Amino acid sequence: MSEQRDNPFESPLRGATYEGAISIKDFTNKRRWGFRGKDAATTLRAEGWRLPDAPNQVVLANEQTLVMALSQREFWFLDTRTEALSEDARDGAFTDGMYPLFCQNSHAWFVVNGYQTSEMMAKLCGVDLSCDAFKVGDVAQTQMALINCIVTRHELDGEDVFSLLVDQSYAEYALEALLDARAEYL
Amino acid sequence: MKRVSTEHFGQWVNADEKVRFTFEGNEINGLAGDSVASALIANNQWLQSRSFKYHRPRGPITLCGHDANTLVQTPTTPNLLADHLRAEDHLAVSAQNYTGSLNFDLSRMLDWFGRFLPVGFYYKAFFKPRGIWAYWEPIVRKAAGLGVSNPKVKAPYNDKTYVFCDIAVVGAGPAGLNAALHAANSGAKVVLIEQEPHLGGSLNYHGFGYSSSPSTTTGSDENSDAATHSEMGEPFSTTAAQRNTLVKAVEAHPNIRILRSATCNAWFTDHYLPVLQGTRLIKLRARQTILATGSSEQHVVFRNNDLPGVVMCSALDRLTRLYGVIPSAPIVVLAGNDHAYRTALSSHDGGANVQAIVDLRDRCDDSALSEEAHARGITLYAGCTVYEASSSATGHALSKVTVHRFGSDGEASEKAATLDCGVLAMSAGFMPAYQLACQAGAVLSYDDETAQFQLSNLPAGMHLAGSVDSVFSLASVEASGRNAARQALRSLDVELAADEDENITCNEQVNHPWPFVKHPKGREFVDFDEDLQIKDIVNATRLGYRDIQLVKRFSTVGMGPSQGRHSALPTARLVAKATNRSVNETGVTTARPPLTPEPLGLLAGRRFHPLRRTPLHDRHLDLGAQMMPAGNWQRPAFYGAQEQRATAIQEEVNAVRTEVGIIDVSTLGGIELRGPDAAEFMNRLYTFGFAKQPIGKTRYAVLTNELGVVADDGVAARIGENHYYVTATTSGVDRVYRDMLKWNAQWRLDVDIANVTSAFSAVNIAGPKSRDVLTALACDITLEADDFPYLAYREATLAGVPARMMRVGFVGELGYELHVPSPYIGVLWDRLMEAGQAFGIRAFGVEAQRLLRLEKGHIIVGQDTDGMTQPDEVSLRWAIAKKKPFFVGAKSVEILSKAPLERKLVGFELGATAPQPKEGHLVIRDGDIVGSVTSCEYSPTLNKIIGLAYVHPADSTSGAEVVIRTDNAVHVHARVADTPFYDPDNARQAL
Repeated sequence: MSEQRDNPFESPLRGATYEGAISIKDFTNKRRWGFRGKDAATTLRAEGWRLPDAPNQVVLANEQTLVMALSQREFWFLDTRTEALSEDARDGAFTDGMYPLFCQNSHAWFVVNGYQTSEMMAKLCGVDLSCDAFKVGDVAQTQMALINCIVTRHELDGEDVFSLLVDQSYAEYALEALLDARAEYL
Repeated sequence: MKRVSTEHFGQWVNADEKVRFTFEGNEINGLAGDSVASALIANNQWLQSRSFKYHRPRGPITLCGHDANTLVQTPTTPNLLADHLRAEDHLAVSAQNYTGSLNFDLSRMLDWFGRFLPVGFYYKAFFKPRGIWAYWEPIVRKAAGLGVSNPKVKAPYNDKTYVFCDIAVVGAGPAGLNAALHAANSGAKVVLIEQEPHLGGSLNYHGFGYSSSPSTTTGSDENSDAATHSEMGEPFSTTAAQRNTLVKAVEAHPNIRILRSATCNAWFTDHYLPVLQGTRLIKLRARQTILATGSSEQHVVFRNNDLPGVVMCSALDRLTRLYGVIPSAPIVVLAGNDHAYRTALSSHDGGANVQAIVDLRDRCDDSALSEEAHARGITLYAGCTVYEASSSATGHALSKVTVHRFGSDGEASEKAATLDCGVLAMSAGFMPAYQLACQAGAVLSYDDETAQFQLSNLPAGMHLAGSVDSVFSLASVEASGRNAARQALRSLDVELAADEDENITCNEQVNHPWPFVKHPKGREFVDFDEDLQIKDIVNATRLGYRDIQLVKRFSTVGMGPSQGRHSALPTARLVAKATNRSVNETGVTTARPPLTPEPLGLLAGRRFHPLRRTPLHDRHLDLGAQMMPAGNWQRPAFYGAQEQRATAIQEEVNAVRTEVGIIDVSTLGGIELRGPDAAEFMNRLYTFGFAKQPIGKTRYAVLTNELGVVADDGVAARIGENHYYVTATTSGVDRVYRDMLKWNAQWRLDVDIANVTSAFSAVNIAGPKSRDVLTALACDITLEADDFPYLAYREATLAGVPARMMRVGFVGELGYELHVPSPYIGVLWDRLMEAGQAFGIRAFGVEAQRLLRLEKGHIIVGQDTDGMTQPDEVSLRWAIAKKKPFFVGAKSVEILSKAPLERKLVGFELGATAPQPKEGHLVIRDGDIVGSVTSCEYSPTLNKIIGLAYVHPADSTSGAEVVIRTDNAVHVHARVADTPFYDPDNARQAL
């Protein structure tokens, strides 16, 4: 276990990667944070962050950080490159209008890629995630295989991918459901 | 039979590819592309099933899966339709619902005693004496059985998927193809659903003229003389070319998704369409629906119209055109419309011996058709009907028909002829495939003058195309499809470029007004599925069931697998006549989903069982944990072999009582409350006072609902002035969180509420040496009791991991609940286990924890409470603040507290060797049930059985005796005891 002490962050998916016509990668150990509250949008913009114009949208704030708006006053930041930092595990200070969120610890993060991803997701999710209906920059707060899931479509390293965020305690279940749905597209 | 393989006959089969399968153990040779039914017919096997009630021999009627006469089974699956089941090598098919063999069915004697089995006989026969139905029911059900399911078969993999589109087009015949193409050309996203494996619908088999190109046979039979077809009409080759062009365009269109071999089985609100395709249920979400479902050909009701070999005209067309099976035996066509003439001519073109056309009418509407038939040597019997069909010596196939004069009054008179034949093709008309439309609320009306149907009152976004809208000529049908597409596009606000609806005129009379030929010996079948004859329907009306819905329920007409496709119209006509009403006044029975029988496996789909695992799951398995469900969670019940369960639990308990134990409590709910009104919110929600709770302290938090019932409990830690962290029960946290959001939506307090159950994982390290273990770790706070006393809250860094620490006493020992960010609980667990080795640390599971807390008399909400439990019943009065003006449920608690208690939860104990009560066992007082056991275990620490039970309040004092009814009605006398059973002074947890 000494290796874990050096890098104690543990993903329930253990960094698994599944290549194929539809690839599934564990991004759980990538850094993410969030805020919500009545002052969140104002404060974050004042800090220089580019935020989506409307809820259920995602934008690329810089070359590696996605910003999702889950409501008018809730924003999640997904850093696609940096590993989770142990200092982020400590409680963040909050002010009355802006509360840090726990998305680094509460959610597992899958990145799914492949041109048939929408079709595969249709086996698991009741929202139309086809290219016409769910464009790059869209976010859906929905269910996947009967569990809550945040789905977003964005670009990553020049590719059109889906990010799925599910409760970390359901991560292995969600992975099993994804792999099962993906089986016919291999 | 002979096989023909030309461009236009046998289109769906490949003469060069043979398939072999068995039917009733006999080898059957077919061609690739055959259905089981077509291959059987090609092998002269018309007999394919036995009827539901009388076990009469039956063969295919529609050849498109619209009748129950082709129900067969395979070793894995019962009730398959042989006309939809593809013939494949090594397939083993058998008939069903017979006693003995298909050819010699002993149950056939039921037909002979049919007069004693009138409609509804079991309603009248088996209800006296009282309870006798229980005896008869299994016998009746067995006699009226269908296939036999094989419980040993592994369920196939079924799943579901969503599909979304602008326009769903149901049916890929000429109307559907035109509708889909027209809509897609305008940019709409279209899903086209076709029941058959090939697109084209009636374009595949119906000539819409009658001529065809000369055929060449692949068999040894003589070539037909079809080359001498006339000049008139539209040759089939033209129709086929038209189809090919349409299909090619549809298949190539990027906006059209085609679902072949797929059945749209219902219509639900907002165009939610369940589509069955193979082992998948497609949940289709459309914005508009175009029904191009066609129409069902109707039969003529005469004696023995169910004999194998009596088919619909469209079935004969399918047999010849799709499968290239040409009957060698003479064919007689019974016509109620001009379509039947086309069938006669088409079959003749295929090389069949069409002997005669018997026309119920005085003449054919299109005289050219009758002239053509005459020119081909086909005898016409105008104004006649088939009065009776007769079978061969075996009784399994049609051999001849007697033809009688048929007056315009609907009565058969003198005999005109007796005709030998092997196939009788009939067409009394066409009824719209109205089911999906009527499921959506459409109204089906009938014009008694013209015998035409009309569907009206369609819901918004539903459109009709083709013969379902009572248009029948090819040009009209195609224009109807395009018009439906235009209507749908307009509803979608698609701009149409000067696209006016096309005029449609179709006055073709397809329905004969009275295709009934009553016979004194009966057996004129109205409903083949249910073996219902003319007299059954009429008798139902005479028994007072005048309403068509009541007739359906009494007689079961239309309740078989074909769902009234062929019986609805004749039943309506018979009921109308018997009750002196019009058919329109009588109406038809209600169409309800599903349209066709659907396998339950498809409805179940892939079985999703969401499972939650704590981050420590694998570590538990490595320690040999036996996992158990706790809601969706998986939790360790105990550690060790299953057969050593009791020993393992006892050792785990002993470890906690004497040294140190550790349990994963990550499943505990966690809710974060932050903001200026956090304390106010807590104070309003929970029963205790929280406004003045000191920072760094925990407090027991009981939640009651508006009815004053104990709904949940947990521990509230005040982290800061405006910051609380509250735990909730594993199963209750989602409900608590939801309630919090609901209440705050009303109270509008300035507080942020976050469910952090998954963000934090937790362990409880408990036992007299628990402090030693923590001390052995690099912990940056002092753990001594003076600095970190019982019920205190601290934040620390343990093994480099930031932790929220609570001194708790759930198991009654010195203990710490350590809540840490979930990704870091693994390393903390490892460090604790390493540090704990020197102190005899042992992981303990849920079972040990239950016993430990029971020894302390701590209740578990949900186990020791129920949906009626009020705080006083479980001695929680101490947890209710007396001076608070309000908390959720306060008024109800106050009212309840003024009424005398009806039960009380108490501790009880029994000797170690007494029969051990189980949870749920009843507490008896003077012969009445007064309560039940909620928890009960043998305590190795105390060497006695202890438990909690609801008892009569009069028995709730220590020392009282209560009677518990245990297994096998053994009554045990338990002694009510004070709790805690263990460490009554609570000294150990406060160390």
